[in-house]
Amino acid sequence: MRSFDRLFEHSSRAIAQRTSRRSLLASLGQLLTGAALLPLLPIDRGSRAHAQDKKLGQQDCDYWKYCAIDGFLCACCGGTATSCPPGTQPSPITWIGTCHNPGDGRDYVISYNDCCGKTSCGNCECNRNEREKPMYRPSRNNDLNWCMANADSNYHCSVSVILGVAEK
Amino acid sequence: MRFAYVLFRALPWLVLGARALAVQPPLPPEHLTVEPLPPRSAHWVFVFDESFDNEIDARVHLFDGDTYRQLGQIDAGFTPSMNLSPDGNTTVVATTYFARGSRGTRTDVVEFTDNSTLTVTREIVLPPKRAQTLPTLFNVAYSADGHFLYTSYVTPAASFGVLDPLKGTVLSEIDTAGCVLVIPSGPNRVSAICENGRLLTVTLDSLGREASRKMSDAFFDPDKDPVFAQGIRSPNGFTFLSFLAEVHEVDFSGPQPVFAPTWSLVSAAERGRWRPGAEQVGAIHRVLGRLYVPMHVGGEGTHKDGGTEIWVFDMRTHRRLQRWPLGPANLGGPVVAVQVTQDQAPLLFAATGKGTLAVFDAFNGHLRHVEHRLAQTPWMLMTP
Repeated sequence: MRSFDRLFEHSSRAIAQRTSRRSLLASLGQLLTGAALLPLLPIDRGSRAHAQDKKLGQQDCDYWKYCAIDGFLCACCGGTATSCPPGTQPSPITWIGTCHNPGDGRDYVISYNDCCGKTSCGNCECNRNEREKPMYRPSRNNDLNWCMANADSNYHCSVSVILGVAEK
Repeated sequence: MRFAYVLFRALPWLVLGARALAVQPPLPPEHLTVEPLPPRSAHWVFVFDESFDNEIDARVHLFDGDTYRQLGQIDAGFTPSMNLSPDGNTTVVATTYFARGSRGTRTDVVEFTDNSTLTVTREIVLPPKRAQTLPTLFNVAYSADGHFLYTSYVTPAASFGVLDPLKGTVLSEIDTAGCVLVIPSGPNRVSAICENGRLLTVTLDSLGREASRKMSDAFFDPDKDPVFAQGIRSPNGFTFLSFLAEVHEVDFSGPQPVFAPTWSLVSAAERGRWRPGAEQVGAIHRVLGRLYVPMHVGGEGTHKDGGTEIWVFDMRTHRRLQRWPLGPANLGGPVVAVQVTQDQAPLLFAATGKGTLAVFDAFNGHLRHVEHRLAQTPWMLMTP
């Protein structure tokens, strides 16, 4: 038993000599964070998988509804693909895109509203331009700040809202 | 053990060194100064930085293409526009400020910076209608003689303001429903691009009020092949490139714009595959007649993707002279803005979405310098 104690004492002192308390805390933190993230790893969880894919999709620039978006995805800024982050205001005016949903094979008319009143979010910049037109076609243009008519015209992020199925 | 031995052997030298240092005279006191700008150079470039991640804090960097030094900065507020005066002495920035930094009462303003000192010398407060959009040469622009300054308004109703930059006053607002931007020509004409592919040209009287207006024929089809709004200054006006690489040269030297026959940047085999794409999609050396375009391979919707190559054309023969593959330059991303100096030993500046500015010999495409992290989002370049 004494030799067991000595073994641990020796190894503890060796670790103490090579590392600082701060690095030990950092390592422990990493371990705990890793443990906390383990449930998020992409393993098959049956019915939960669909909801999780949907959530991940909204933060992914390749998400089908984002085919003509240009800005920061609100889903990465405290909102979702269809809701503005807390404390911001939606723009009442907007630009329009038409995106193809590979899930059901339909084309949808999408409204890309901006969320306004705070400075740019800076997360998940996404610039896609399918059927996007320059500024002389304003309703199809994603370069304009669509917060322009808000009481506070500062631009924060952009959402994508389905308006309906596109007519052929 | 080995370390102790080395220390023991070196000790006398360390003592001697310390004594030598001890007898050196102290450094003299220093004087704090403000660095003056060197004389203006044709190889300067103004780098418009939208600072998109923190958009209320845009700026314009001034960079020297010979010394590769950043010379200074002009602050530019929120979603600004910029341009240079015809004599190059002034940088004009049209921008927006909020009373509490990121929120509060909106003030739209045009600020004039002296390009010999980089200090703001004058401002004109605008109605809160300024077009808040990506930079082009036509968001804010001077008349050819510098007596009028035009600012594009979008609320989203379209109009433009006429300003007197010398007196610091707003002279008028002119409605341009369905047509946007301010393409200046002559001492008193403004053209706007319309949603049907036409140009509306408004002629002003001496007080900056509308004297007459005329609509042109359509010079492009916005549905089939739209032109980039980022026109390129050419000898008699501006040149517009289309998404499918057609070149529309417009002569603005007369009372009404005149459209030259179009020509293409691509062969029949390349059409629809190789495309121009960028935030600032071309540059022209007006004396040499050379056109520089960032090109990429892509389909519909890739018109802002940036160039993986720069193609060089002779504007007179319409021949492609050179292709500059950008891969070997290792710029960290495709080129989203280009500009060429107008001297006889021209430089081609190319900026990437990663904030890199590359300096090329504009004659042969030799890479002279790469400046990393000069800006956050450099979306337009201007040379004096």
